[in-house]
Amino acid sequence: MKPAASVLLLTTATGFGFGLLAWLGAYSMLGLLPGHARVLVAAGVATSLLFASFGLGASMFHLERKERAWRAFSQWRSSWLSREGVAAVLTYPVAIAFAAVFWRDGPVIETRLLGATALVASLGTVYCTAMIYASLKPIRQWHNRHTAADYLLYAVFSGAVLFATLRTMDLGAPGATASAAAATAAGIALIAKRAYWRHIDAQTPLATLAAAIGLPKGIEARPLDAPHFTENFILRQMGFAIARRHAVKLRRIVLVVGFALPLALSILAGLTLAPMATTTLAVACTGVGLLLERWLFFAEATHVSAVYYGRRI
Amino acid sequence: MTMLPERAPGAKKLGLVIDLDTCVGCHACAVNCKEWNTGGEAGILPDYDKYGPEPDGVWFNRIHSYETDGQGCSRTVNVPRSCLHCEDALCVTVCPTGASYKRVQDGIVLVDTDKCIGCQLCSWACPYGARELDEEAGVMRKCTLCIDRIYDEHLPPAEREPACVATCPSRARHFGDLADPDSKVSKLVKERGGVDLLAGLGYRPTNKYLPPRRATIPTAPAKPPAPGGKGIGAALLGLLDKALSR
Repeated sequence: MKPAASVLLLTTATGFGFGLLAWLGAYSMLGLLPGHARVLVAAGVATSLLFASFGLGASMFHLERKERAWRAFSQWRSSWLSREGVAAVLTYPVAIAFAAVFWRDGPVIETRLLGATALVASLGTVYCTAMIYASLKPIRQWHNRHTAADYLLYAVFSGAVLFATLRTMDLGAPGATASAAAATAAGIALIAKRAYWRHIDAQTPLATLAAAIGLPKGIEARPLDAPHFTENFILRQMGFAIARRHAVKLRRIVLVVGFALPLALSILAGLTLAPMATTTLAVACTGVGLLLERWLFFAEATHVSAVYYGRRI
Repeated sequence: MTMLPERAPGAKKLGLVIDLDTCVGCHACAVNCKEWNTGGEAGILPDYDKYGPEPDGVWFNRIHSYETDGQGCSRTVNVPRSCLHCEDALCVTVCPTGASYKRVQDGIVLVDTDKCIGCQLCSWACPYGARELDEEAGVMRKCTLCIDRIYDEHLPPAEREPACVATCPSRARHFGDLADPDSKVSKLVKERGGVDLLAGLGYRPTNKYLPPRRATIPTAPAKPPAPGGKGIGAALLGLLDKALSR
């Protein structure tokens, strides 16, 4: 599948934003935020909505008819894309109410409840995004049990790294809990990514060419003539393929930059070794690494319709 | 609405039956489809770089040719590929705007180009590669089963069929109601063992494909080898035959 910049930015940035909101919500829900954390909550919610808005704004560039985007909120009964839009829009007022009430009242039962709601709303939105991909049956690398879990994990991980940076700005250090959470999330995300790659490497193509054209068993088919001499929309979108050797290299870079470095940097920050520098660097590494990870998520995905053109699926 | 409609009892299931045995791969169906749909109610079917080195455009129907082995001989199988108007059309349910829909009365899957936002998710959801982006209008386009022909009462009844079916010179394309077990198309599917493409994915396509039949061309039995004589004359002739056959 062709990786489109708009979609890579959408999923990565909303992952950061809603992941951060989830952590703020979780901390509040569990009563881990003291009264003086109101600046942290306000700045954190603002940051999370900024990231989410950037991502949602980027997604607009994927639409050919942006002026009709409002129509995408209508089909939430069947479409995960529509549900994502609805969930994202519902998350905003929850987040703003959470920050406003916390600013006024600090850690009270209302803010604990609002925090819990923000947690559910933000992760719910990420889940909807993931299900857009996970529900597409023609793409075996997406239509599996890994996709939704992985998107949630990467959102929680990138949010944790961002949360640790904000706490460092607020308190001078991320604190043991936040840095441990970031490091743990990075470790789990790394394991999940490796498990995903193992899974897709072990898959078999969804169909053979012979089955795709309805031939009885025992008959083999090879492409002879394509419909047209030039590329078309289907081939540009679904026929995108990445060279195997490039994928291997990029996977290594993702593991190191996207997961291992943020893990190490989060531990260093937890040990109060230049926490401002280490947490900021961890965010930068996570951002670059996850963008590359998302690029691979698309580039390595194959669409069954490409089989009609004799392409690898 | 992009929820798939509940099929009403007695509702039609209009579709195509395509005979892979008799399709000659002439592309006439694709050409007539393009001609009809670029000038019909659906408006222009765009072409890009028309006279340049990389011409491209939207086609509702594309014809592939394959070479097959395994029936005792190698043969060419031509496969016209277009929207199959699936019963479980994922392209419809993924649509966020309601632009993509399946008609209750006949099962035809259509795009309302006034509502489409061009997110292209439906093209990702279709395993058959049947939906293409109109890069000029910014909306998705697909086979309409020539809905502006099949119901047009100004046309003589015999012409109320999709353009691809009307033009096929080898009569490899058939149009009809696949919900009616007594229709011509249903009988054809039954007689010839019509199949669903990519049946394993579970889209339950309406269009059916008739697999190529095993070639049984009667040929005269091979002649027994000429009785070879004995003696030096025959041996010399044999040598000569060998030398000349090289």
